[in-house]
Amino acid sequence: MSQIILDHVTKQYGDVVVLNDFSAEFEDGEFITLLGPSGCGKTTMLRMIAGFEKPTSGTIKIDGVTVSSADTFVPPEKRGLGMVFQSYAVWPHMNVFDNVAYPLKIRKLPKQEIRDKVMRVLEAVHLDQYEKRLPSQLSGGQQQRVALGRALVAEPKVLLLDEPLSNLDAKLREEMRYEIKDIQRRLHINIVYVTHDQSEAMTMSDRVFVIYAGELQQVGSPVEIYRHPRNQFVADFVGKVNFLKGTSQDGKILLDGVSESLDYSGDLTGPVDVAIRPENARLVRGGGQLPCRILSEFFMGDENDCLVQVGERQIHVASDAASYGQFGAEEPVGLEIREFLVFPQSGEEFEQILT
Amino acid sequence: MKQAKKFYFDVKWVFILGIVGFLLVFQVFPLLYLVFRGFFSTGKFSLEAFKRIYSNAVNWACVRNTLVTATLAMVFGVLIAFPLAWLVGRSNLYGRKFFRALFLMTYMVPPYVGAMAWLRLLNPKVGTLNMFLQKILGLSGMPFDIYSVGGLVWVLTTFYYPYAFITISRAMENMDPTLEEASRISGASPLRTLFTVTLPLMMPSIVAAALLVFVAAASCYGIPSIIGAPAKIFTITTRIVDYVYVGTADGLSDATALAIFLMVLALLLLYISTFVVGKRDYITISGKSVSPSVVDLGKWRIPLTIMVSLFALVVVVVPFMTVFATSFTVNMGKSIFEPGNFTLKYWNTIISRDSILKSTGNSVLSSIWAASLGMIVCLIMAYLLKRTQVKGRRIPDFLITVGSGTPSVVIALALIMTMSGRFGINIYNTMMIMVVAYMIKYMMMGMRTVVSALSNVSPSLEEAAQVSGAGWLRRLRDVLFPLIIPSIVAGWFLIFMPCFYELTMSNLLYSDNTKTLGVELFLYQTYHSQQTAAALAGGILILVVVVNFALNKISRGKFSI
Repeated sequence: MSQIILDHVTKQYGDVVVLNDFSAEFEDGEFITLLGPSGCGKTTMLRMIAGFEKPTSGTIKIDGVTVSSADTFVPPEKRGLGMVFQSYAVWPHMNVFDNVAYPLKIRKLPKQEIRDKVMRVLEAVHLDQYEKRLPSQLSGGQQQRVALGRALVAEPKVLLLDEPLSNLDAKLREEMRYEIKDIQRRLHINIVYVTHDQSEAMTMSDRVFVIYAGELQQVGSPVEIYRHPRNQFVADFVGKVNFLKGTSQDGKILLDGVSESLDYSGDLTGPVDVAIRPENARLVRGGGQLPCRILSEFFMGDENDCLVQVGERQIHVASDAASYGQFGAEEPVGLEIREFLVFPQSGEEFEQILT
Repeated sequence: MKQAKKFYFDVKWVFILGIVGFLLVFQVFPLLYLVFRGFFSTGKFSLEAFKRIYSNAVNWACVRNTLVTATLAMVFGVLIAFPLAWLVGRSNLYGRKFFRALFLMTYMVPPYVGAMAWLRLLNPKVGTLNMFLQKILGLSGMPFDIYSVGGLVWVLTTFYYPYAFITISRAMENMDPTLEEASRISGASPLRTLFTVTLPLMMPSIVAAALLVFVAAASCYGIPSIIGAPAKIFTITTRIVDYVYVGTADGLSDATALAIFLMVLALLLLYISTFVVGKRDYITISGKSVSPSVVDLGKWRIPLTIMVSLFALVVVVVPFMTVFATSFTVNMGKSIFEPGNFTLKYWNTIISRDSILKSTGNSVLSSIWAASLGMIVCLIMAYLLKRTQVKGRRIPDFLITVGSGTPSVVIALALIMTMSGRFGINIYNTMMIMVVAYMIKYMMMGMRTVVSALSNVSPSLEEAAQVSGAGWLRRLRDVLFPLIIPSIVAGWFLIFMPCFYELTMSNLLYSDNTKTLGVELFLYQTYHSQQTAAALAGGILILVVVVNFALNKISRGKFSI
């Protein structure tokens, strides 16, 4: 059965449309990520599911119950959800145990049962040693776990996470990623995760909803949206990409400002945008589809991050690490393109869009 | 599958409507009625009452006196406050913390205490300081006469410069220190930086501080009534009170016209300082809590410390000591150190005389009511302002600000005219009318405290409780309250203290059964025994110091009065 159903949900503040006609169904036990740059409407969507914001129009159902529609509104405290906030929102005046026990106290569970459940959750988030500590005595990562424990303790069917890792340092962020994913698998709950970090979305999600400017751009598994982005925005936002303008005709794409062309078997004709991911291009000595000139090289350890000139355009290439420093300054170099994406030209300059 | 309820009853609205109703009935309506009466005194629209302000020489003199004394107090107040705020806040003056606490404390002392003290010190015949100066300077007459416009300006200045001091200090502390550092790096000396960067940046705050002093001085009743009245120097406030006491129709209509003039003046200036000057405020609070750099005074450090000490001695220490000395003196014509001239009888009087105890009880009770009800209103209003998107949520905040900006005399007059049965509510001669007046005048202090505390509590803390299943009241109890309780306590005392020794409104609103401490003190000072009044004032001073100290301890230095 569907856990969360969003039916034509629109949110407007005055004339500003923050989220336009959003429809989706999140299945039981699914890890859903709402991905997009800041201000795209993803947090608004999450807050509407939680009940902190009312949709301007549309219906939201959780577990078969309409929680938000034109004539119904269930406030957040009656929705029985778990939520982790970006700022953690761990109450500074309560110790770890009291913070986590709070949802159970509201539900008026017997003392012993509360104790058992809280200790079990604290163990799951590796905080069982810290039950008496105040939040001010904990590190950021530990506070984060308190927030996670508090969201999980009442065993909600749905867990909402609002950029929960953005305030952590890089190493901890990676650790927590696996932990959250692990908890989700074990408890088989529906997680709705909001982030602007595409690598978080890639590693954890079953399905990713890419949102931009209040519009849903694409839905799919991480592999789908990476390999088959529906438009230039998705291609650019999920992973790195170089755009080249060109014209498609007779099974070939003529790139603007470049004498060579690329073989193309798709059915788009006319002006197109060609998107090349850095890892799909490789520097080769002689040959390759496109001749180029190396402008700069950066040794990254696992790859050679270089900037090359192709005709009048500059593109980033993630060549193999072994290629670093192998080419002389004036040596003719070729670019071997393994894979590229073709989109009809939209006229927008998509390389400008960043998080 | 369970069906969700269609509507959830929102408790918020009951509170909100109740409070807006209270403000409408007890503040908005009386003030509007006052204005209405000013223009329709004869039943038809007329400006007759206002013409009498100009045509009647007595009225015109008191308008002139008010404007002159308030303007001079404003100029001197700022001239004192700015260097003082800079020295205490930004230089390595000796004893900065001590001086700061001392100057801030004066803010909470009732102005009439200052008037009493300076009356004793600079009385043209027997003033203690006058006689002392005459002796050491070998003068033939007394150097000062407190019964003069100059005397009035002097006392107003010494009691209202702390308003400017607080405003300017706060702005100085909030200033981004890198702005000044950039000037120093560019080669400017500390003094040049002060004049080319600090001072221009502070200008909006200085103007706001000046307007605040002006309004406070112009609305003051205690000082002009104790010093001005014996000298036949009347101001708008003393004139209004006199007219109300006389109680004739013409008198009331003159009082109304003067009150409207004073109210419009005060609110206009406050409007300018908040919305016009406030908009140009350059002071930004940067996220990084870098404390502003301290300027080394070098060879000036000791001379400047001595100057500030002398100032503190003359403006704070001497007057307060005078009040205490007076309270122990038998014959005020002689020095307290002469044999047989020391007595504890007046202190004994104030803790034993029934009428005084009753007045003190009245003050305690009405102040507790005003502070408690006031804090409830403040809490709900602050919540409304900071935590909801309700349309018109700024209206109560605006009303509370207007209330505090309205001169006390005007509030009292408006309440007398509307709350004595004419419109179905008769609370005249009861303690309730005083509680209402106190709330309107002093709620803003509590409001500001709670609003700033709420701004520091992230809404997500409450949202986390809401997701956990807690309803509104439960969230308030479990999360919000425990986090802001120090501010609630501080806010409560910020309302309680000024109500406790309030004079102006009480003086117009009291009846035999509801006499308050301020009124009692005023009556003793004017008619019976200055020593008893001094003992009462001494008691109030001790209370101010004790409460201030306790609050500072409770809030770990975050709050003091």
